[in-house]
Amino acid sequence: MHDLLKQYIDEGRIKLDKSVHTHLTTYHDPCNYGRKSERTFGHGYYEEPRWITQQCCDNFVDMYPNRANNFCCGAGGGAWAAPYNEERIYYGRVKAKQIKDTGAHMLIAPCHNCRDQIMKSLRKEYDMEYLEVKYLWELVADSLIIEPREVESEEE
Amino acid sequence: MDPLLLSKHEKRKLATQFADLCLTCGTCAGGCPVTGVDDMDVRKAVRMVVLGLEQELIDSRFPWICTLCGRCEHACPMGVDLLAMLRSARGKRERDKVPGVLHKGVAMCIKTGNNVGIPKDDFLYLLDDLSAELAEELPGFTVPIDKKGARVLLTINSKEPFGEPDDMKFWWKILYAANESWTVTSENWEGVNWGLFTGDDESMKEVVGRIVKNYKELECDYLLLPE
Repeated sequence: MHDLLKQYIDEGRIKLDKSVHTHLTTYHDPCNYGRKSERTFGHGYYEEPRWITQQCCDNFVDMYPNRANNFCCGAGGGAWAAPYNEERIYYGRVKAKQIKDTGAHMLIAPCHNCRDQIMKSLRKEYDMEYLEVKYLWELVADSLIIEPREVESEEE
Repeated sequence: MDPLLLSKHEKRKLATQFADLCLTCGTCAGGCPVTGVDDMDVRKAVRMVVLGLEQELIDSRFPWICTLCGRCEHACPMGVDLLAMLRSARGKRERDKVPGVLHKGVAMCIKTGNNVGIPKDDFLYLLDDLSAELAEELPGFTVPIDKKGARVLLTINSKEPFGEPDDMKFWWKILYAANESWTVTSENWEGVNWGLFTGDDESMKEVVGRIVKNYKELECDYLLLPE
């Protein structure tokens, strides 16, 4: 996923407009793309999503701690679909503080679970209604400069 | 409770090779946001395993309240395989005692090809509808279904067709803009694999196997699984 987006940008197959997203933006490291990918496959996706985010947003700040030491959103391991809501929200207090401490108004998450927990739960529970949350691919899609193709070129 | 002879304890129930190496330093629990919930923490979980209280751990809420994020394991100075241990504790739960909808989702996926049981006709109708909408903005846009020889096979998170269908358009727009050759499959398109969370290796393997089968049959080069 990260490799494909990076490839599209690198090769100029997609063009991005940085003026769409001007707010201070931070990035959340999901455990599966980071620590677990690193342990399982020998490569953690830490730098690629940061690079992609910064191709869309000039105004970027990291949370602390980050990358392999990042805190879980609180909904990992299926907790978003499990019945322990109180515990899930309690867990997320650390993530919420990390986010607030950056001063960012937009957060990018490349994971469905993390995005749902932060956007649909932590924003409300920890008074962060000002925070805009997007998937990494949503950020890219919203930044696209699309030159519409001729209909004929679709029929190959 | 009978005393346990550590010298000849039975074979472990849980999947950990290195729990014996634990120094009880507590680095794991010190950096974990759920330390203290239920008066438990990951250091105590390791002690339970080493001291023969594995069934008690399996029966407790702890392996499920833990999010398997792996921060503890990353920090452990002895490299104890904490994630494998806790996930296997989930797997040892009887399936009808798995909390919430997680196992129901797994069973539904095995039965219907996706976690929420969307029928094939409804799915195809929805894609048709959405792609017609998007074509108003992007001339000639369609969602290619079961297209043999497509470069990219895109899986879909079932929560999107179920509840947030417009969110599927983000990837579609990118693939259109990049002029990519891509496809979605009409069956077994689910990208979510809850067997990962329920410790159910067999179901997990089955779901992955179906994606691989689609990928091979359609002769794709690239699997795009945005989870």
